[in-house]
This record gives sequence, structure tokens and C-alpha cells, in this order.
Amino acid sequence: MSGPTVVPSDGRTSTRGFDKGGGAIVATTAVILAVASVLLRLDDDGTAWAVAVSAGVTVLVGWSYVGSGLAAWSQEPTSNLGPAMVAIGLLWFLPCLAESGESAVFTLGVAAENLYLVGFGYLILSFPDGRLTRPGDRVLVGIAAFLCTVVQLAWMPFADSDAIICDGCPDNALQLTRADGVADAILQSQRGLGVLFSLLTTMLLVRRWQRASPALRRAAAPVLWAGAAMYLGLAVSILNDMTGEQWTTVAESVRGSAFAALPVAVVAVMIQRGLARGAIAQLVIELGADGRRVDLQDALARALHDPGLRIAYFFPTEQRYVDRDGAPVRLPQPGGGRRTTIVQRDGEPVAVLVHDAALRDDALLDSVSAAAGLSLENERLRAELLARLSELQASRARLVEAGDAERTRLERNLHDGAQQRLVWLAMTLALAETRLRDDPDGAASVLREARDELTSTLEELRTLTQGLRPAVLVERGLGAALDELRRRSPLPVALTATLPPDLPPHVETAAYFVVSEALTNAAKHSRASSIEVHTTVSDGALCLTIEDDGVGGAVPEGGSGIRGLRDRVEALGGRIRLTSEAGHGTRVEVQLSCD
Amino acid sequence: MRLVVADDAVLLREGLGRLLDEAGFDVVGLAADAEELFTHVAAHKPDVAIVDIRMPPTFTDEGLRAAREIKASWPATAILVLSQHVQASYAVELLSLGASGTGYLLKDRVADLGEFEANVRRVGEGGSVLDPSVVEELVEQRRTKNEPLERLSARERDVLAAMAEGLTNKGIAERLFIAEHTVEKHIGNIFAALQLPVSDSDHRRVLAVVTYLDAH
Repeated sequence: MSGPTVVPSDGRTSTRGFDKGGGAIVATTAVILAVASVLLRLDDDGTAWAVAVSAGVTVLVGWSYVGSGLAAWSQEPTSNLGPAMVAIGLLWFLPCLAESGESAVFTLGVAAENLYLVGFGYLILSFPDGRLTRPGDRVLVGIAAFLCTVVQLAWMPFADSDAIICDGCPDNALQLTRADGVADAILQSQRGLGVLFSLLTTMLLVRRWQRASPALRRAAAPVLWAGAAMYLGLAVSILNDMTGEQWTTVAESVRGSAFAALPVAVVAVMIQRGLARGAIAQLVIELGADGRRVDLQDALARALHDPGLRIAYFFPTEQRYVDRDGAPVRLPQPGGGRRTTIVQRDGEPVAVLVHDAALRDDALLDSVSAAAGLSLENERLRAELLARLSELQASRARLVEAGDAERTRLERNLHDGAQQRLVWLAMTLALAETRLRDDPDGAASVLREARDELTSTLEELRTLTQGLRPAVLVERGLGAALDELRRRSPLPVALTATLPPDLPPHVETAAYFVVSEALTNAAKHSRASSIEVHTTVSDGALCLTIEDDGVGGAVPEGGSGIRGLRDRVEALGGRIRLTSEAGHGTRVEVQLSCD
Repeated sequence: MRLVVADDAVLLREGLGRLLDEAGFDVVGLAADAEELFTHVAAHKPDVAIVDIRMPPTFTDEGLRAAREIKASWPATAILVLSQHVQASYAVELLSLGASGTGYLLKDRVADLGEFEANVRRVGEGGSVLDPSVVEELVEQRRTKNEPLERLSARERDVLAAMAEGLTNKGIAERLFIAEHTVEKHIGNIFAALQLPVSDSDHRRVLAVVTYLDAH
């Protein structure tokens, strides 16, 4: 037996991997950039030790992003988190180019000074999925990219380096003309929008934290908080730049610390996930323990730290899902707060884990499923048994109810019909008797009335017995009875019936009512133009197929008619299948054992 | 004797009306449900209301409830309830409303016009009528768990049943082809064996016997 495999429900397959060669190239690039930035810083005029510290911090921060990015990338190759962090780390070094005395290098540094913020926005807003799933997040990252590229390049052609960028710096290579007013206006708009963006993002992150499910909080807390602090600090420091006043240097420190702390936060989350994998070991021990039945759902919920985790077991014959008690389960729609992961065994789905959407760690899910695979299979069988049992009970109850309803209907029919008529007949005959001597003509007319009444009473009783078990079925068997149904159907019916004469009566009756009900349903609901009825006997079973070319869309749980058929068929140990896709007609297939 | 007939089935209502008319009764009203019945009874103050037990709207025991209402509001009107089923408990319930001028018969009984006519008259004159099938059922269900009843002779049981049906001593004597004083002797034995209080009127006697038979 092969082990279980896990298929993410969104069918996503990974083509992008992480390899050691790629990692080496990234690392080398980071080293070059770091050395360049240190050299550029050392070129500066400041105090030697202060410059050294500043350069050291710059390198440390950049490398921590690149390093933790590479670690994340190797641990979760399908996620964008790793690449995003590596990109932030590399882009982080670009503003150092502005320290250069060369006009071209300086200009490049200024133009690219905010690019790392785009990567940072992506990282924070896509955490912990590594993908921007919400439209709002995409818009925010788009705005960040717009402000840091298009708007940045919009003011540079008008900016005189000394007046706008920094006094005593090299010339702005992108400058086309000098228009201090224009450049300043665009720059201030950029900053204003930057403040707005930062505050918006801060609020979003705080709200995200408030609304987060326990699993998401667990997975994202340090990163969300570091991100929120960073954006708040960023908003205040941009305000400082705008007004030219230093309202608070605390903001600058907060921003810097939060930015620097973020890789640590990401690594912390990664370690936590690693610990979660350790929970699998616990799970295996629990499941392997003798002498007690472990609640698998609870055990998995504990292992995956998702108290809301539910297991839905798959019934292959009916293509539906039930919970551990056999009750039907509706799987969540994609895009909600819950996500599903299908657990397969030997290529067949066994169960579906319905879990928090924040739980995107496929490797973890994979391991958990592997550990629980056999137990899941067992639980599935148990759930299937329970579902069958409760179906059986419900079906039995419905059969009894149907029987009672039928008795009531019969009693009412007899009471209001035949019985009344017979009492009337008795009265009429009594009347005729009294008239017989004195008024023979009167008596004769009363007797005629009585005879007419007797005829209609017989008629009524005939209809009634026909409904109980059709006479033609009793007298001439299923083939003739089906032919009778065909003739009575308002829709044209093509009937092909090859039937042996010795079918058991209960099978004949069930088959008759199945066809009768299916034809009635088709006439009532299908808007079909024709119906095909096909019956054969093979391998000791009577197979019926009733197929129309109508509108389809009939549901198995639908009308009491279909349920009644199912009960009748299943009570005989038979099987019934309804296929009724909207627009493709309805097909009822029934198998009844003739033993 | 003036009658009102209530039955929701028009066939039976009209047929019964015609039959009773033919038998010399004065049928003053035909009703399809309890409301119409009350209207007729209030308007005509008939001697007897002949009521089908099942009527709209619920088709269960409307006739019985209507009987209770008539007993309470128009005590002078006797009640004869007709039913298609033998339902001993209904009959006992009906008699317990007051056995005088009360009857319970199966609908089939209309086939014997003479007997039916006599029963209607008996109820109308303040007597009691209980369908023999009901009495039979009561005796059967009582016999299986009652020793005193077992000790009665076959003839005494016949007398008991006739009493339960509401027959007078004379009626019993006629039915069983015995002398009236023999009937009285049997009745004395029965009351002693069953330890029933001696009643001074026929309808009280019916109630005593029926209550005894119905007791569990």
C-alpha cells in the first residue's frame, strides 16, 4: 500500500523550486552590494566610528533579510515569502549608492532609494500565505510601487540636486530642467500619499490582527506587529521630512528597529511552524496508543493548532462527504476563511481536512495526513457505517410513516366512498321493500337507483384496489404492467423490456412503482419530449433505466417521490442512482436483486 | 315525531331523510355539519337529532361533541349518533352525558327499517339505545378479565346485553321469548352477581350496566 498524498484543494502545483545554486548567486550578490555600500559609507566625511557603525548596521539589516529569506525559501519553496525577503535585502543596499560622488551612481541611488519599501509592503501584506489573495492588498502594494517608482521618477527631472535632494551632493543626472516649485510640489504629494499609505496599512494590519482566527494569530502575530510598528514609524518620519521639523526622533528609531526586527519575526514564525511539525510525533504516539479510541478530529486539531479543524470523510459510491458521526457535510466554498485539503490513499480520496485558511503549510499537512492516514481510513469506514445506519433508521421510519399515511388514505377512501354507498344501498333497498306491496312501480324505480349506485360502488372499489397493486401486474406480470404504464403516460415512452416470467412478486411490485413514479415525475417536472424505459435481467438482478431528455436538475434529497423510491428500493437491498445534471435530462437507474 | 338529520355526505343525508319521511317521521331539517345542526335544533326544537359522528372540519368526533352541546343547550332534544365503526368508548362517553334520550347505532342498522324506526322512537321517548355490536364488544372485553361475568348463565348474559342495548323488561321478554317476570328474576340475579345498585328507571339501568362493562 502506498502512503497518503496531499493535494491542495486549489489544484496549485509548484513549478518554482529552490536550489542551492540559486542561493549561492543571491548570497554572492548580497556580499558585493554590502561591500559596495560599506565602501561608499567610508567615503563619507562623518566621524569615522559613527560611519563604521552606520555601515555595519546597514549591512547587518540587509543580510538578515537575505539570510532569513534564503532560509524561508529553502523551507517553503512554493511560498513567495523567501524571495520577497531576499529582494528586500538586496534592494535595501541600493540607497547606499546615493553616497557616491559619481553623478550617475548617485542618481541611481536616489531613484531607487524607496524600492525596498515595495518589497516590504508585499512581504507584510502577503504574510503568512506568501501570496496576495485579497484585492485590497494588491491595491496597496500597487500604490506603494507607484509612489516609489513612477512618482519618484516624476519629480527627479525637475529637481536641482542642491535645492531639492541634498546640499553638496553630485548633480542629478536625470534633471532636464530646473523647476524647484514643480519638483517640490510632486515630492510633497509623494510624501503626503506616503503618510496616507502608511497609516492605512497600519490600520489594516491592526484590524487583520483583531479579526484573525486563532491559527492565523499564531502564525502571523510577530510579523503583523513588527509591520504595524514599522508603518506607524514610517508615517511619522515622512511627516518629519515634509515639515522639515524633527517632531520625534522616536519615530525614526521605531521604524528602524521594526524594520530590522522583521526578519527575526519571520524566523520566529518559521521556528514555530517547525515546532508544529514536532506535534506530529505526538500525534503518531497518540494514534498508536493501545486500548483507547482517539478522537482523530481532536488529535488533528491539536497537532495543527486549529481548534476549528473538521474532518469530512468521503463516500466514493455516492460522491459525498460526511462527518465522523455520519451526518452530511457541505465543504466550504473557495475564498472563505476555511480551506480544504484532500487526503488520498492509493490515489483514492479518503477524507478532506477542513481547516483555517491560514494553515497553508502543505508540508505540515502532508506529514499530519501521513501520520493519520490509516486512522483516517478506519474512521472513514466507521463514519460510513454510521451514515448507513442513520439512513437505514430514517428510511425505516419513513416506510412506517408512508405505510400509516397509506392506511389513513385507504380508510378515508373506504369510509367516504364504498362504505357510505353501501349504507345508502341498504337504505334504498329497505325503502324498496316497504314500497313493494303498495307501489310496485315506485319500488322498481328505487331498485334501479340501487343498481346504478352498486355499479359506481364497484367502479370505486376497482380504482382503489388498482392503486394497491395493479391488477395487470397481478394477472400478467411486470412486462404487461409496464406496457400499461407506457400507454397511460402523457409523454411518449419508448419501452424495451426483456423480462423472464418468474420474477419474485416483490421485485415486480417495486419495479412497477419505480417506473410509475419516475414517469409521473418526468411528466410533472422534466418538460421532456420523450422518455426511454429499459429493463434487463443480468447476474440475477433486475436493472431498470428510465431516462428523459428534459431539463434535469432533480435532486436526490428532493421530493418525497424520489425519497420514497429510494426507501422502497433500498428496503429490498437494491440500489438506485439519480443522474440529473441541469440541462441534460434525468436518468434513474435501479438495480434490484432477484434472489 | 319531529327529526333533524345531520350527515356531511349528501347521499346519506337525503337518503336517511327520505327513508324516515317514508316511515312516518316529520323530518324538519337536514344539516351538513355541526353548525347547521345547531341552527336547525335551535329553530325547530326537534324530538330527536340524528347525527353522524364524523363531520367536517376534522372528520373525527364532531358528532359526539355536537351531542354534548345539544344535551347541554337543548335537553329536550334526544340524540341518536350514527357511526360506521364500532367504537365502544364513544358509546360509553355518549351515554355518560345522560342515558335518557340517547342512542348510539351503527349506520348499517338502517337496512332493517322496522328496527331502526323503533330505535328512533325509543330514543325520542326518552329511552336509551346502544348498538348490539357495541354491547357485544363491551361484554367481550369485560368477560376476559371478569369473574362475576363468567359466573352468569348464558341466558343471564343475554338479558344483560339486552339491558345494555336499552331494552325495557317488556322488550327483553319479547326478544328472548320469555315471560316478563322471568326477565325480572334474571335481572335480580345479574345485579346481585355484579353487585350493581338497583335502579328505578330503565335508562339509569343502562348506564349502570354499561359503566360496569366499560370499567377496567
